[in-house]
Amino acid sequence: MTNHFGDVVGHSKAILIIGANPAVANPIGMKHFLQAKDRNNTQLIVVDPIYTKTAAKADYYLRIRTGTDVAFIYGLLHLIFKNGWEDKEFIKKRVYGMDKVKEEAAKWTPEVVSDVTGIPTDQIVQTATLLAETKPATVVWALGITQHSTGTSNTRILPIMQLALGNMGKKGGGCNIIRGHDNVQGATDMCCLADSLPGYYGLSEGSWKYFAKSWGVDFDWLQSRFASPEWMNKKGFSLAKWWQGVLQEEQTYSSSPIRALWVQGNGLTSMSQTAKIQEALNKLDLLVIAEPFLNEAAVLTNRKDNLYVLPVATQFETEGSVTATNRSSQWRSKVIDPLYECKTDHDVMFEFAKKFGFYDQYTRAMKMDVKEGELVDVKKDFVWPDDAVSEIARTLKTIGLGGWTPERLRKQQENWYMFDPVTLAGAGPMKGQYYGLPWPSWDKKHPGSPVLYDVDVPVNDGGMGFRNRFGLEHDGVNLLAAPSVTVKGSTIKGGYPEITRENIEEVLGSKLTDAEKQKIGSNWKTDISGIIQEKCRAAGVAPYGNARARTIVWEFPDPVPLHREPIHSSRPDLVSKYPTYPDQKNNFRVDVKFISEQQAREWVKEFPTMLVTMRVVNLSGAGMLERSSKYLSHLTPEMFANIHPDLAFKYGIRDGDMMWLHSPQGTKIKVKAQHNQSVTPDRICLPYNFAGVMQGVDLSPNYPEGTKPYTTGESSNTITNYGFDVITQIPEYNAGLCRIEKA
Amino acid sequence: MSSETSRMKFMCDSSRCIQCFACSVACAEAHDLPVGISRRKVVTLHEGVEGKEVSVSIACMHCSDPPCAKVCPVDCFYIREDGIVLHDKKKCIGCGYCLYACPFGAPQFPRDGAFGMRGVMDKCTMCAGGPEKTNSAEERRFYGQNRIAEGKVPICAAVCATNALLVGDAEDVSAIYRKRTSSRGKGE
Amino acid sequence: MKTIIVFIITILMLTSMAYAAESMIWGNMLIGNILSYGTKDSLNMGPLFTILQSQYFRNIFLVIVIGVPAVFLMHYLVLGARFFSHDGKKVYVFSLFNRLIHLLAAISFLVLIPTGLMMIFGVYFGGGPLVMTARHLHGLATALFFLAVIPMFFFWVADMLPTVDDIKWIAIFGGYLSRKQSEVPAGKFNAGQKMWFWIATLGGIVMIATGAAMYFQDFNLGIASAFGLSQIDLLRASAIVHNIMALLITALFITHVYMSLFAVKGAINSMITGYKEEQELKYLHSSFYRKLKAQNKI
Repeated sequence: MTNHFGDVVGHSKAILIIGANPAVANPIGMKHFLQAKDRNNTQLIVVDPIYTKTAAKADYYLRIRTGTDVAFIYGLLHLIFKNGWEDKEFIKKRVYGMDKVKEEAAKWTPEVVSDVTGIPTDQIVQTATLLAETKPATVVWALGITQHSTGTSNTRILPIMQLALGNMGKKGGGCNIIRGHDNVQGATDMCCLADSLPGYYGLSEGSWKYFAKSWGVDFDWLQSRFASPEWMNKKGFSLAKWWQGVLQEEQTYSSSPIRALWVQGNGLTSMSQTAKIQEALNKLDLLVIAEPFLNEAAVLTNRKDNLYVLPVATQFETEGSVTATNRSSQWRSKVIDPLYECKTDHDVMFEFAKKFGFYDQYTRAMKMDVKEGELVDVKKDFVWPDDAVSEIARTLKTIGLGGWTPERLRKQQENWYMFDPVTLAGAGPMKGQYYGLPWPSWDKKHPGSPVLYDVDVPVNDGGMGFRNRFGLEHDGVNLLAAPSVTVKGSTIKGGYPEITRENIEEVLGSKLTDAEKQKIGSNWKTDISGIIQEKCRAAGVAPYGNARARTIVWEFPDPVPLHREPIHSSRPDLVSKYPTYPDQKNNFRVDVKFISEQQAREWVKEFPTMLVTMRVVNLSGAGMLERSSKYLSHLTPEMFANIHPDLAFKYGIRDGDMMWLHSPQGTKIKVKAQHNQSVTPDRICLPYNFAGVMQGVDLSPNYPEGTKPYTTGESSNTITNYGFDVITQIPEYNAGLCRIEKA
Repeated sequence: MSSETSRMKFMCDSSRCIQCFACSVACAEAHDLPVGISRRKVVTLHEGVEGKEVSVSIACMHCSDPPCAKVCPVDCFYIREDGIVLHDKKKCIGCGYCLYACPFGAPQFPRDGAFGMRGVMDKCTMCAGGPEKTNSAEERRFYGQNRIAEGKVPICAAVCATNALLVGDAEDVSAIYRKRTSSRGKGE
Repeated sequence: MKTIIVFIITILMLTSMAYAAESMIWGNMLIGNILSYGTKDSLNMGPLFTILQSQYFRNIFLVIVIGVPAVFLMHYLVLGARFFSHDGKKVYVFSLFNRLIHLLAAISFLVLIPTGLMMIFGVYFGGGPLVMTARHLHGLATALFFLAVIPMFFFWVADMLPTVDDIKWIAIFGGYLSRKQSEVPAGKFNAGQKMWFWIATLGGIVMIATGAAMYFQDFNLGIASAFGLSQIDLLRASAIVHNIMALLITALFITHVYMSLFAVKGAINSMITGYKEEQELKYLHSSFYRKLKAQNKI
């Protein structure tokens, strides 16, 4: 989220929700959209393949064909540019590459867009007009946008539209991406990923060296932990396709097949290609599962040996900070001590580290602190979680976590009632802080930044320009913000580059002392001494620069986002016009099929119905936790699919009948048909929160005694189609095909 | 709130209700109800029909002149000073008449005993317990929590994600609702 | 007998299990029920039931249970009972099967009516487990009555069809308003007994049906829709019909008891032994008596 929920309530005049269903996935978030409607007559536009609970509250509902979001947004951009509705000043001063977008948008007339997306032309015109006339408008999305083979393009085209409309860096504008679960933003910021160190530092040698230093360990020692040094800088397997590392059916690029899997805090059964996951789980040498509730991965596999289930404490049995969807942090206290023999997550990891002999290195940074510009040992033992939080705060400079000290977060927790829910501003003793210190909170005095990229607010009060991330120029164009874009209160007029050891004196126009020159890091991201941050504060400058937002990503297969048909498209006639990507070599250590899968057959002939997945409000993720609650499971006593009566009767399926759903991958699931008007007859919709039945086989005998939840059912992910994003490798959950058969 | 005419009321703003079931589930959990018995229900009309779908949360409305109390053959109902309509499960005979009289379908009858016969009536207490000693184990067993006695908001309204469900003195509730509806469409 | 009891209990258990599913009253029907409550196009069953139950039923029952016996007490005191010679010949009129079924019906009525009244006047019993038990006994006795009412209907229905005698009988009020011993026009059963028969059997079946609807409450057999009612309205209608019918049955039951125990001394013996006094037949069932005579059955 560039902004926050309170900001939407206070300032947004229009909200475009696309690929998100907050009424079901984030009811508390939904409240704010409804409040905005009540207080400001905010217009709510919902774009979704399904008439969702969110759509039921919308002023305008647009039913889109799955996987055509890029085309739809280009349709809006087409009209925006055609009518001159774009914010020309904003684009001229703060954006790079919009002309390329304009070129692509020119192709997307309302008629073309309507044909591709299935949205009537008048609704496209109406929406474009509304967004042009109603400012500020915010865009909200979630997994309906990201979980596609074109997910990266989807997530790029929406901010591009906001840039074109001049809605970025404005109160009530921005891109507000809703995180579904508690602390998903925190997990993302910590980069629990195969391709980056915490804080989005990536895997470059420079980053590793910075982290080695920050952790107080030897870089060579770190490197020696890898099979060979080259692996240190290569991405690991992704969560989406790790099973190929075991099965090796597609070409993999690894020093060895995956032999052991440790699952901690992940609903493995909510990933796509469940049948493949099952095969891989069976083939592993060792499977360890560490969760508060039994992870149904343990049930999915038929293995009898080398499967360990460790009980891990819940959030109520531990303490620490969590990050909310709007980048703000909250301290959470322990309610009770861990029950029975379970251990907290960190204790499990500490025990693990001890067994493998790196406990000292693992915990060392918690006993260190920066003293006079240098990281030194300061104590013999650490205090959990305070010292871990301090370590994070002092290390992760890319997103400006410097201000997130445990002391400040605890103080905020104690005084939460002193903050305004709409502005997040504190009062009384909390004056000068925003609730949760939304990052970047550059240093211990910084109030946090509730709205990103707002140049009308001084940096030291939460303002900033766009980050200077991609160099100083591209194709001969200066990538820094125009001279007239001066962040309020800054001593530097106009754009400026990110601050490094080399340019600090020149950019800030101040001299460093010799002592400072000795201690200062190479740039603002790796400056453990804090000198760069200190100088920037004095100058009212954001250390990451003041540059232009880029709409062209020259490293990506699609420098400007392009519409590409889903791999299993319901419109074969459009596949030739908008084909998917060429097959991909070695992304996350494995080859990925794109065009070869798309063109293998005319899938829609055998699989005529579009397959859409959804969440149900009473279940989250793989659903194990909620299905273990008698009251929650009672709301959805069994796995079902929403199907339009017209489609159902075509197959002779009455309301409540069972049906088989077949996928192009040859897998099938048996679910109950639930007649429902929220879907049109060309598509069906399944919840993804069930597990415990696999292709018609009841896995009940696999549950250890006393762990079987009240309800089990087929997982929709058994039939989600093959497909992965070209950059992030997130699975294609939301655009696929299936065949219906009466059971 | 403290005026003599104060009456506690529920009100569900259907333009806010998103059918998340939080009220219903929290109620069942708080009062340890048998599965399938919901003192508070969330109902959706025209499910999935574009432009027509409406959801609303319903429980005992704690009527000012409750018909349930009028028809009870054993007079097990009583009305608190603050207008909360409660009943005595020790008097109730489970005849079902209150259900027939109630416009809102609030009274229900958990099955009881070896033959699964219909037991005594159960309904929303606005989290105010029953005639037993306040916050006693017995009150808890028969009627669930007495949050009102602890100065807390009824659990359903406390957990309502979108503030659709309002509870409190009738005048306060209608004032909040009036403010909401009057600013709706104005953009003040 | 044991088998019958086991049978009854099994039926009860099975039905209550089958109906234990969540009622539609609180499901999809809820909104419809709420919106239609007391509106112009609705049947107004809710408000109607509320008014009847809160203001009328209990009072009318009070009038019946006090009024009817009071009238008969007056009758007894003023006109007195009738006596027929017990030394004369006896005529076999009721078979063992007749008597057993009648006994079953009698037992069930002796439970049904007091327990029903206990519910109506539940407030004076303090409610709670006592009246709750009465409610369950009421249900159990219904099962007994259900077993009795069908054979009873069939073996007596032919004799219960109206005849010309009935008009005459009604015209002279069965001769009960005079002390004179004269032949009253009546077949095997007089018009009063016929009235009781029809009310007790057909009315009884209505009572079983409405009672079962209320007892099981969560049935879902398309019954309600067959009547063009919502389920809750069917329940309300059931309660209203059940109460009104109960008034009638209670009044006639008291009459029946008075006649057989007090008004005609020894009349009850025929239902115990199967034999009626010839004298009793001659005077109170004259047509039947003549018919038997003609057939040489006496």
